[in-house]
Amino acid sequence: MPQTILIVDDEQSIVVPLRFLMEQNGYKVITASSGEEAVDKISKFQPDLILLDIIHPGLDGFEICQIVREKPEWKDTRIIFVSTMVRDADVAKGLAFGADAYITKPFSNSQIMQQVKELLKG
Amino acid sequence: MNPNNKFWWFVAISVSITLIIIASLAVLFWQQLPPEEKSLLLSIIKQNFLYIFSAAFLILAGLGFALDGIFHVYIIPTSKLVEETTLITSVNPSHRITIEGSSNIMRLARIINEGADRYEELQKNVEQRIDLAKAKAEEEKNILAAFMSELPEGVLICNAECRILFYSKQVKYMLMGADNVIPDSESGSDIASFGAGESFIGLGRSIFNIIDKNLVVHALDEIAEKLEHKEADISSNFVVVGKGNKLLRAEAVPILSHLRKFTGFIIIFTDITQQTEADRIVNFMLQSFTKSIRSSLAGIRSSIEAIIEYPDMESAQLQKFREIIHHQCITLGCVLDNISSDYSSHFITQWPLVPILAQNLVESIRSKAEEKLDIIIDMEYSDDQNRVKVDSYSIILGMLCVLNQLRNETANRKFTCNFERKGIFVNFDFIWHGNPIKIETLRKWDHQILILKNEELPLSLKAVLQYHEAEMWSNVCEGERDKSYLRLILPAIETYESEKIRRITILPESRPEFYDFDMFSQPGQIPELDNRPLNELAFTVFDTETTGLDPRGGDKIISVGSIRIVNGRLLHDERFDQFVDPERSLPFESIKIHGIQPEMLKGQPTIDKVLPFFQQFAEDTVLVAHNAAFDMRMLQINEAETGVKFINPVLDTLLLSAVVHPAQQDHNLEALAERLGVSIVGRHTALGDAIATGEIFIKLIPLLAKMGVYTLKDARIASQKTYYSRIKY
Repeated sequence: MPQTILIVDDEQSIVVPLRFLMEQNGYKVITASSGEEAVDKISKFQPDLILLDIIHPGLDGFEICQIVREKPEWKDTRIIFVSTMVRDADVAKGLAFGADAYITKPFSNSQIMQQVKELLKG
Repeated sequence: MNPNNKFWWFVAISVSITLIIIASLAVLFWQQLPPEEKSLLLSIIKQNFLYIFSAAFLILAGLGFALDGIFHVYIIPTSKLVEETTLITSVNPSHRITIEGSSNIMRLARIINEGADRYEELQKNVEQRIDLAKAKAEEEKNILAAFMSELPEGVLICNAECRILFYSKQVKYMLMGADNVIPDSESGSDIASFGAGESFIGLGRSIFNIIDKNLVVHALDEIAEKLEHKEADISSNFVVVGKGNKLLRAEAVPILSHLRKFTGFIIIFTDITQQTEADRIVNFMLQSFTKSIRSSLAGIRSSIEAIIEYPDMESAQLQKFREIIHHQCITLGCVLDNISSDYSSHFITQWPLVPILAQNLVESIRSKAEEKLDIIIDMEYSDDQNRVKVDSYSIILGMLCVLNQLRNETANRKFTCNFERKGIFVNFDFIWHGNPIKIETLRKWDHQILILKNEELPLSLKAVLQYHEAEMWSNVCEGERDKSYLRLILPAIETYESEKIRRITILPESRPEFYDFDMFSQPGQIPELDNRPLNELAFTVFDTETTGLDPRGGDKIISVGSIRIVNGRLLHDERFDQFVDPERSLPFESIKIHGIQPEMLKGQPTIDKVLPFFQQFAEDTVLVAHNAAFDMRMLQINEAETGVKFINPVLDTLLLSAVVHPAQQDHNLEALAERLGVSIVGRHTALGDAIATGEIFIKLIPLLAKMGVYTLKDARIASQKTYYSRIKY
């Protein structure tokens, strides 16, 4: 049974290569382009990991992170923020909301794969 | 005491003493007589009572007339002589003694007058020399004061008690808004200019009236701490919100005595509203562009890395990545374009447009075109007084670029330029022999960045023209079809629009009145007002014009005029002059006196609006008025309606005049002004009378000091003793 990754981003130019990358590495990929769609898919598919952009329509990345972390049944879901917000304060805030990692755009594929694999190996 | 009262007291006492002496002698004489002589004397008195009584009456009457003569010929003239001589030697050397009295006293008066002539001449000579000696120092002071007034930063100086010693015009503007903070009824200011919450700025006033006390105290604490730790930077910074939500950075710097004792502080205000807004915009732009670029780069990088990493991917997938990369490259290009245009438009808003003579602009273009482009421009002058508002660097560079293109396009290197006012624009025409420039060509020029040899501005001609609200086109010259023109139109400005041009600083004859450094040693706390010397107190001298003289009978205030005195100087810059709508008719008799017509009061604020404002103006000062009982009564009668109660101490120049010149009969404003050498400008206008009263009061202070009246309390006690204090309205 392959592990499931949810990619939340409204930019298709990000979603397409990420989906390809994850699928090539044997993960099942689902995507969402808004906050509400993301929450909906999380409850439906209970992904093992979420690649979460912060700025997109509807609920923002921080809010989604907060919702996931508030539910005990989703406590094992790993979250990686993938964002254009690069200030130290943004990173600190993301981690404070319970994210497992924070990757800034533009990222390297190897960097993001390494992070994903590390978080999902357990 | 009034001289007549003095006389009658004198007569009464003299007659009483004489009668007592006569009676005592008579009693002694009577007791020595044997009984038969007593009865003989009684019978003689009874028989001759009429003669004896008449003789006694005549003696007493003669004595009375003699005393009256002595009093009016010697005693009253002597006291007048003393008062008027004091006047000459103290405040009014031009005064001359004119009294009736004995020949000796008249002679003495003539001698004193002759002496006064010499004294006055001598004093004038001395004053001239002093004035000359002072002139240089005064000029330097004025340069300093004028310089500080013209600084873009506002400067405010306070003593250790936080009372204002100096403030520049900019402080007033930054904190209080325009000059109409103090209402000027003549200029038709409306009541809105002094709404609730307004405070006054003025010499001797507390800084807490205009800046939150906590901010100042915090800054002073910080300074004290830095001084204690002997830090290099001893200033303290804070931000205050000024008039119109201006954001002001305030830097407080201490003033220390030679013993490093804190004696006051300077606050320098800088308007950072624009800077803050500019920073905010730049910051916002930077963040927004960074996010867009990062997002696009993420797509491109991830796609390329995937292509490299998986060379065998399906062609459909590969095509997707190629499209992403293509799309994101276009997006990046757009982002960069936006950066350029947004930054340009932001950059452009920072330019100040400066008024310039059209002729000077053309002359600059002509000389630079010749120097840099070898283009000859013949000038045809028309009206050389027209002005336009430009950023000269960008507009000249823009025109040089256009002329460069024009030369290439028309193969001409000689142009004729004429400029003239047409409606609201000034037209600048560059004329040549040949066809006009096509619209499409001009459109191309519009979008080109301004580059000329080694000069470059990252802006298009269009952006520069737009910012100047200018336009440019080309057409055939009317009447000369073989000629064409390229026309630049710039909005003309009227001369009076040049409000931001720095004025030439004309040094005032005397130093500006808001400039005073003599108050460092002023104690200045309100509870001690009573014991402070008069020449150290702040006074608000005021006068009211009314519909009549009967406050109880319904007469109302129609004008309030006031001026402040601080450190013995009348502050002409700190006036209060306000008409008041009395909400009743104006009797013709009163119009004859003050000349205020009913239509002048239409639309003016009512007393309930004016008095709170006047109370603020007079805050922390002693009120002074001529015949103050009347004016105070006029204010008091409005207490119930306005809720404004004037609790300031009050001094009356009428009473003080009676204190210093008890022998004088006349203490009205005109007589007093004449006696003290004060000329009244605008008699029976509230402000005119208030100013005259102020000048009179300043001259009374040294005369009072000669009589031992130094403090506010002394002055009040002396006033109460005078006859005139019994007048009640």
